[in-house]
Amino acid sequence: MIQLQNVNKYFYKGEPREVHALIDITLTIQDGEFTLFSGPSGCGKTTLLNAIGALDSIDSGEIYLDEKEIGSLSEDARTSIRLNAMGFVFQAYNLVPVLSVEENIGFIMKLRGFSDAQIKQRVLEVASMLEIDNKLSSLPHALSGGQQQRVAVARAVAAKPKFILADEPTANLDSKNSKALMDMMRELNEKEGVSILFASHDDYIHENVRRIIKMNDGAIVDA
Amino acid sequence: MFKLAIKNILFYKGRSITTSVLTFVSTMLFVVFVSMQDGSHNAMLENSLKIYTGAIEIYHKEYRDVGGNEYLIQDVKTIIDKLSQIDAIEAVSARYETYGLLSSKGQSAASMVAGIEPSKERVLSSLYAALREGEFLSDTSGNCLYMGAELVKKLRLKMGEELAFVGSASDNSFAADIFKLCGVFKTGSFEFDSSSSFISRSYFDKLMNGENKASYIPVKIKNLDEVDALNSKIVEVLNDEELESLTWKTLMKTLVEAMEVDNIFGYISLSLFFVVIFFVIMIYGFVNVSSRIKEFGVLRCIGLSKSNIFLLLFYEIFILSSAAIVLAAPLAASICYYYSINPIVIEGIAEMYKDYGIVSDEVPFDFNIFTISWNLGVIYVLNFLSVIYPYMYINSFKPIEASRHV
Repeated sequence: MIQLQNVNKYFYKGEPREVHALIDITLTIQDGEFTLFSGPSGCGKTTLLNAIGALDSIDSGEIYLDEKEIGSLSEDARTSIRLNAMGFVFQAYNLVPVLSVEENIGFIMKLRGFSDAQIKQRVLEVASMLEIDNKLSSLPHALSGGQQQRVAVARAVAAKPKFILADEPTANLDSKNSKALMDMMRELNEKEGVSILFASHDDYIHENVRRIIKMNDGAIVDA
Repeated sequence: MFKLAIKNILFYKGRSITTSVLTFVSTMLFVVFVSMQDGSHNAMLENSLKIYTGAIEIYHKEYRDVGGNEYLIQDVKTIIDKLSQIDAIEAVSARYETYGLLSSKGQSAASMVAGIEPSKERVLSSLYAALREGEFLSDTSGNCLYMGAELVKKLRLKMGEELAFVGSASDNSFAADIFKLCGVFKTGSFEFDSSSSFISRSYFDKLMNGENKASYIPVKIKNLDEVDALNSKIVEVLNDEELESLTWKTLMKTLVEAMEVDNIFGYISLSLFFVVIFFVIMIYGFVNVSSRIKEFGVLRCIGLSKSNIFLLLFYEIFILSSAAIVLAAPLAASICYYYSINPIVIEGIAEMYKDYGIVSDEVPFDFNIFTISWNLGVIYVLNFLSVIYPYMYINSFKPIEASRHV
């Protein structure tokens, strides 16, 4: 479970161009949720997602991950949280270009110390579920955008994190691939029980999530 | 991380090759530069010692500071016998040096005239090798004089011509004789060639009343690196408080100072060299890292720690520098070895540095495995240090900022 209490985040703090990006955000996300942060561009969706994912610091308030406060942790401690509890799917896929699909999917498991046999088994399992098992030896640049995003999802889910945070995961995909990706994410949520949090404008995501948290000007207007 | 480092190196071939080539060239230049500098110092020392000065010389204590016949070494035979028991000594002889007036028909000049043991001197110094005209001395060459080419010019002498010698014998009595020019030498050292002449001791001792006496005893040793240890041994063996045994470091202060000055400039050049190598590698590494900020940002976002990133950069530079050093080391060592046997010839260098005892235009390199090893170690260290700033630069970005870097 993730809990946010009165979370505030500023950009350019103390400067004339200061932006109050998150305003007193208080929110609870239960395990297994399939949730979307929606709202216009610049409303703070990505900033909130980054704060929840321990990717960025906050200026005040608290963020609890399973009752452990993570908002005030050091960068090293946040790195450990990201590695062990989070999976990330980025708009630009962000695969490691020098690693094959198989190595990309197993990369986080490797960092977490899984055995080679465990990694191989899990990679095959996830790749098969996401229908990229015939691309395991390819390098990312040899794949289409849709395929790369599936690899990114596979990488995020392979080490069985508690939460997957997906920031505009369909922004670079056509409608067919967007639909396919959403169907897969939902399947992962249902089969693996992993909580998935989206930040997106995509209508198809709107129609398929179970919870929508609307934001505007850095504040939650409807949770 | 090691596997990822290898994959990065293989994936970014151009960048990897350039980094390795930079390290390769730096290694080559550095090893060869140090070898050349050490080689020229060794040559400077060896040349100087070869001409006339021994690696060690034994004197009566006041002879060098006060001078005079009362400070000649007495009972030379006993001392030579003691010294001959030391294995590390290659050759030893006794010289009787004096200063007198030499007069040809038309010219006179003050000169050092030294009574030497010709057969021993062939091993001890390069006097015999410096023969240019006539013949070298022998134990039975009588009043034959072996004279420096510049002094011959000064006295306008021709081979076989006679000249008069006037000086002071060991008992301070008047000594005078007629010598004959039998041989001319040229060491290349102007000062030495214009003020020195030699004569066989067997003849000179009678004239100077110098039997069993010596101005000093030069010692040639087998290994110059052991000079200090051997000098202590000689002092111990002689066990005579009236004698002093001095190494070339004391005897050739000018040369030592010249070498020290050269060393200082050498170290300054080396420091500049280090700085250039360091910055070339670091700037190139920095440019590389700058082009990979997004990549490192993504890795940090998905869970790589700062230490993982450092390890990744460290492995990359370790692999690339190792590859370059493995290739450069044998090549650089071969160059050093080749030029240690076949020295480079720089026309005019002997003339330029004649005051420092340089008698040859040859500049041999030094081939020393230990020196080459520490040179390679320095290149490794510079490579590793060059990772630090790029690493700090990467960490100045938040992971999420870096992952969006264009």
